[in-house]
Amino acid sequence: MPVRYTDIREEHMAVREAVGIFDTTHMSRFFVSGPQVVDFLQTLTTNNVAKLGLNEGHYATCLNEKGGIHDDLMIYRIGEMEFIWITNASNGPKIKSHLIANAKRFKVVVEDRSKDVVMIAVQGPNALELLSKMAGLDARALPRFSCNSVKLAGHDCYLCRTGYTGEEGGEVLLLNTPFNDAGKKKAIAFWEEILKQGKDFGVKPCGLGARDSTRLEAGLVLYGHELDENTTPLEARISYAVKFKVAPHYIGYDALSKQKEAGVTKTRIGLVMVDKGIPREQYPVLINGEKIGMVTSGGMSPVLDCGIAMAYVKPESAKEGDTVEIDIKGRVRKAKVTGWPFYDPQKYGENRAR
Amino acid sequence: MSKGAKGTKVIDGLYYTKEHEWAKVQGDMVIVGITDYAQNALHEITFVEIKEPGTDVTAGEECGLVESMKASSDVFSPVSGQIAEVNTALDDAPEIVNQDPYGKGWMCKIKCSNPKQDLKKLMDSKAYSAFIVSK
Repeated sequence: MPVRYTDIREEHMAVREAVGIFDTTHMSRFFVSGPQVVDFLQTLTTNNVAKLGLNEGHYATCLNEKGGIHDDLMIYRIGEMEFIWITNASNGPKIKSHLIANAKRFKVVVEDRSKDVVMIAVQGPNALELLSKMAGLDARALPRFSCNSVKLAGHDCYLCRTGYTGEEGGEVLLLNTPFNDAGKKKAIAFWEEILKQGKDFGVKPCGLGARDSTRLEAGLVLYGHELDENTTPLEARISYAVKFKVAPHYIGYDALSKQKEAGVTKTRIGLVMVDKGIPREQYPVLINGEKIGMVTSGGMSPVLDCGIAMAYVKPESAKEGDTVEIDIKGRVRKAKVTGWPFYDPQKYGENRAR
Repeated sequence: MSKGAKGTKVIDGLYYTKEHEWAKVQGDMVIVGITDYAQNALHEITFVEIKEPGTDVTAGEECGLVESMKASSDVFSPVSGQIAEVNTALDDAPEIVNQDPYGKGWMCKIKCSNPKQDLKKLMDSKAYSAFIVSK
């Protein structure tokens, strides 16, 4: 995926106002199956795996013993005893080793199908219309987070009703598309077909720049920025990915339960610039000149037309509505603490007024 | 090798830094901006901030910031001196730097006591063209 096909801002606004497509094939996809697959996945992830019905999915984290995050991921149940685990590209090898090491204790098979499945995200207010047209079914009738076997443009796919932009849409797994000349040809033809069928919907190919700016504007966390081995899901405020009434307990459960009782030592906040300037990763966040934390992701919001950021600060040091300062390379600039998404959810995003 | 190098403009008579600033002598002033190569690499410039007039700057040191949709990038002063004027037109329309990097997109004027000495250390258009092609 290139940083941009045309302009980041243009691609970003296509996602917010029409539909954008992202080639996310670089991510890792593991197919996990076997009689003990539910217990296996529950041992490794923080959401309630047993609760997933057939063709349902959810967001989860995979923790280390200390409750720090190995990775964040999507899990989909595609069979009674078969699941798909989709994980960040940068963490692919780490997660693969982790899965294989832990699989020894369970009757499960872990299959890395990253190089056999192409993945394309179709995102935006027109995304479901486009997917419906391609699939010959009403994609809007498919529940959020579902994962269904469908034919798109005649090809076997899984259509996941998920995404990473804050908008409606789906993530398409184009099956049987190996990493060779024939597979490449098929993948390109499929990509071109989406662009062709999406023309009337205002579709645009989108790059890494727009992927980052759309997820930031939606307030979604990114591994390596908001999440890492020293940050827990409670600190990241993604508690929807975490359940405590689960059996067996997952790796990191005890540490996390303890933190739930004792409280966190840092917490994620959103920031919107009041003064001019663009907050960037690692810029200090101050209150009355005293450092309270650090920016983990920042950039320009095309919708708000100003700088926005996510940061970690000491708990209770700043609440929504407070004014803080960001040290932008020696220039101290005011920003307001906010929640997310950063855009007006009445106007943008999947819950917009229609 | 870089696609950006091809087709990006380099103007004769200007001086160039390795950080892709250009400098143009005008009396005892040196006008400073970023090159076509730099604006092309940054793309979609969203914000330009140069230190205030009156600030002393040193050759090779940071004198401002350019933000694009993609990244944040420092502007390094090609010469030592004092900032005399900042292009305030860029406050509301930073995209001018993308459109006209060597003209309306200039960033500041630096009053320089000994411009020749500093400029001697910079590249001319020929050397800079070779430099960006090698990138």
